[in-house]
Amino acid sequence: MSPSESSPRSVQLVPRRRSDAPFFIVMGGISACFVLLIVLLVAADLAFTSFAEFRSALAKPEIQAAFRLTLLSCTVAALLSVFIATPLGYLLSRYRFPGRFVIDTIVDIPIVLPPLVLGLSLLILFHLPIGSRGWELESWLRDEVGFQVTYRWPAVILAQFTVACAFAVRTMGVTFDQINPRAEHVARTLGCSRAQAFLRIALPQASRGMIAAFTIAWARALGEFGPILVFAGATRMRTEVLSTSVFLELSVGQLDAAVAVSLLMVCMAVVVLLVLRWLGTGLTT
Amino acid sequence: MIGIVDATIHAGNFSLNNFSIEVQRGEYAVLMGQTGCGKTSILEAICGLRKIHSGKIYIQGTDVTNFPPGDRNLGYVPQDLALFPMLTVQKHLEFAMKIRKVASSIIADRTRYMSDVLGIDHLLSRRVQGLSGGESQRVALGRALAFEPSVLLLDEPLSALDEKTREEMQSLLLTIKQTTGVTTLHVTHNAKEAESLADRHFRIENGSIVS
Amino acid sequence: MKRFWIVFLALFVAVAAMVYQLAVTDSAASTKGGSPITMFCAASNQAVIEAIVADYKSEFDREVYINYGPSQGLLSQIEVSKTGDVFLPADDSYLKLAREKGLVREILPAAEMHAVIAVKRGNPKSIRSFDDLLRRDVRVVQANPDAAAIGKISRAALSKRELWKSIDEATAAYRGTVTEVANDIQVGSADAGIVYDAILHDYPDLAFIKIPELESAKSKVAVGIIAGSKNAKASLHFARYVTAQDRGMKQYLRRGFQTQSEEVWNDVPELNLFAGSMLRPAIEETIVEFEQREGVVVNRVYNGCGILVAQMKAGQHPDAYFACDNEFMSQVTDLFQPPVAVSNNELVILVQKGNPHNIASLRDLGREGIRVGIGHEKQCAMGWITQNTLREGGIEKEVMANVTVQSPTGDMLVNQMRTGSLDAAVAYLSNAAGSAEFLDAIQITGIKCSTATQPWAVARDSKFPNTAGRLFDCLTSPHSKEVFAAEGFQWQYDTLESKASE
Repeated sequence: MSPSESSPRSVQLVPRRRSDAPFFIVMGGISACFVLLIVLLVAADLAFTSFAEFRSALAKPEIQAAFRLTLLSCTVAALLSVFIATPLGYLLSRYRFPGRFVIDTIVDIPIVLPPLVLGLSLLILFHLPIGSRGWELESWLRDEVGFQVTYRWPAVILAQFTVACAFAVRTMGVTFDQINPRAEHVARTLGCSRAQAFLRIALPQASRGMIAAFTIAWARALGEFGPILVFAGATRMRTEVLSTSVFLELSVGQLDAAVAVSLLMVCMAVVVLLVLRWLGTGLTT
Repeated sequence: MIGIVDATIHAGNFSLNNFSIEVQRGEYAVLMGQTGCGKTSILEAICGLRKIHSGKIYIQGTDVTNFPPGDRNLGYVPQDLALFPMLTVQKHLEFAMKIRKVASSIIADRTRYMSDVLGIDHLLSRRVQGLSGGESQRVALGRALAFEPSVLLLDEPLSALDEKTREEMQSLLLTIKQTTGVTTLHVTHNAKEAESLADRHFRIENGSIVS
Repeated sequence: MKRFWIVFLALFVAVAAMVYQLAVTDSAASTKGGSPITMFCAASNQAVIEAIVADYKSEFDREVYINYGPSQGLLSQIEVSKTGDVFLPADDSYLKLAREKGLVREILPAAEMHAVIAVKRGNPKSIRSFDDLLRRDVRVVQANPDAAAIGKISRAALSKRELWKSIDEATAAYRGTVTEVANDIQVGSADAGIVYDAILHDYPDLAFIKIPELESAKSKVAVGIIAGSKNAKASLHFARYVTAQDRGMKQYLRRGFQTQSEEVWNDVPELNLFAGSMLRPAIEETIVEFEQREGVVVNRVYNGCGILVAQMKAGQHPDAYFACDNEFMSQVTDLFQPPVAVSNNELVILVQKGNPHNIASLRDLGREGIRVGIGHEKQCAMGWITQNTLREGGIEKEVMANVTVQSPTGDMLVNQMRTGSLDAAVAYLSNAAGSAEFLDAIQITGIKCSTATQPWAVARDSKFPNTAGRLFDCLTSPHSKEVFAAEGFQWQYDTLESKASE
């Protein structure tokens, strides 16, 4: 009997030789490369320094001041970012207004620009003489309002905020994209104004997204270096954040102290990420 | 009553020009048409969620063309239900009344009544995630009706349900029609629903025709 | 809904609290021990300045905030922001540039550094000469000549010998600052680099090689006071501390710099200035401004030059001497550095307003009945010049017969003219300038030596030569020049550009 005439049901069931193992090996291998790289970097740092050096580096008053400034400025910058990014992300996600494409592109600029360009632009903005009298934003703030920005802590926060907010807006935009706008429509038919629909319906659903935006903003602020250097300076005890500390210690040949601070930053980042992740999962139950 | 007079809507890549509908007070009207030919857009226009480019909209005899959605006193159940994910069933029923700052005793009464009629009083403290299709449908109806609107708009309410649940829902809609007497516009592509529920039939074919 | 507002409010309060925390610590720093100073410091000097600032803080409890970077980069920051108090680049050419742009006022010289080749200790690649740097197996890094001072001076030195191109091609990478170059060699990513000898003090693993091609590559480290500084006195106080032999310069010496400054430290230096009394109206105001700006004390002794010279010969040594005439300066040249001519003052005949006696020339002073007052020949330059003038004019005898009074200063003659006890006096034009309401001045023509030239000199053994030098800069500033002119002096001193002797 030729095979085509035999009934299909009589074929012998034999598992084909192929197993799934190669798939996992290849996928896992590629992923492992990156994970391994990160682990090796941290391990190299650990091997370079010793615990005693770590301790003595952290005992320096400059490092402690930088640690404090970093914590405060990153948190403030991240909170401000989320505060601004939420309405902005909502607008960009929900409404098709004229010029939306332009606004969208503008918001993305800080993500694409090299950080040094941002820092330089900030410096110029605050010191650009406008008009015949040479009015400068910085002088006005310093003399009339009594609030100096350049080379002081507000400059640190502003530099961090400018980049962190751009990332936060991206995140919030995606968050609101994923929330069903129909629920807000129904809320409006039930009597809500647009504001009430946003506050009562959209915002609570966005809470996980907001935590994610805060995380990204905080992480970006922590890693910020270029703009802070140009706009806020690298003044010890005043505008020195941990990323700047690494640079300063490096520039005096204190490689040990530089690595110690780097490890400190790794620890901080891990702790904050874990805390925020725990907060995020706690909200979905 | 619901009235659309000489309205034009642009939606996506099609438009409905100069059409009119009128549903009398207390009537149960069914609007039929193919999927994607604008039934949802008409409902959205009545709600005030979609702009009309000309013409007028009347609810209860009042010209509501320029009214915001919250002032039109209507209940809307969209096709995907759009329940509020973070709220309990009870909160859904209370929602519209809380916004309108109705007295809490009245809220409690109406909630109890509505959950009774819809048969969802055992679900009141549940979050809406994880409810079955039928249960969700009931909650959406309850949310739309709890504040006693004069108009009820339903967008394909029975399409996503299985045979048995659909029959339950149909009889439920009949009960609501009889107990509340609310003016209803029910949009569907299924002729059988139209048969059992409708007082009046409309059909979309480049305008509306009473059939 | 309520939960949202609670969380929102809590976060708002948290932000406010954090901002408050930041603001409070920042302003707290500025009230303790006096207002803080902001400094822009070249990377090459980071280690030594940190040591000096630590000493300064413990001695004076004043906060110094420092920004480090490459010299040109710092200059750009100062240019854009126009803030800051003190600028310390690795090479004083940047300060001169800044001064031309009006960004820096006073410059205090500090130390000197030389360009050398840095290699790993033990010189594993056996680099001994310039040609070794061009070898294939030697990785050379340099600091960017357009950003860092070391790059600039080595490029200048090597270009002069036509060697720059070859080293440029052989350079593997250009780094931002000199310390980055040293780091590279330390870490091992480079074999050699051009650095300042002074920074190697902090790099025990590195050694340096001197090569003749870099012989002329020297940098003078100096401290500049930024023109826009809101705190000149504190800045100058700090700058003097850095450049004082027995304070900041000790740290510089310890780290292998060659020191330039000869000034000794004093919290409030007191300078002693001897000046001819005719100079008082021209310089007094300027000196007071200088005192206020610098926070120093200048003890002025105005008198006739003869008297001042006698005091100096008797043992009183001022820090600087501003004489009425070269003649008297020349009597004490051994005490001072070479003098510089600042201004001219000519003799005139002072008469009562309206010239009632119709005096037209020196000759008329010999007329019967004219009471004449002149300066005392021995006591002041004015008197000495007057005698010379009379002798030149051949009327010495006649005029001296009418001389009723010989004063040590022109001011006294003016007073006597005012009281009417003199009909005429021979004094300086500057004396006339001050009393134009009741005196007229008649020019003395045709006699060259009737003009006095005022020289300035700083004492050789002065403890504050740099401060005295800055006082001189003030006295020769455009503003001071105007004051001199208004007082009737003729300006002699040439502007900075032609001062090649510095």
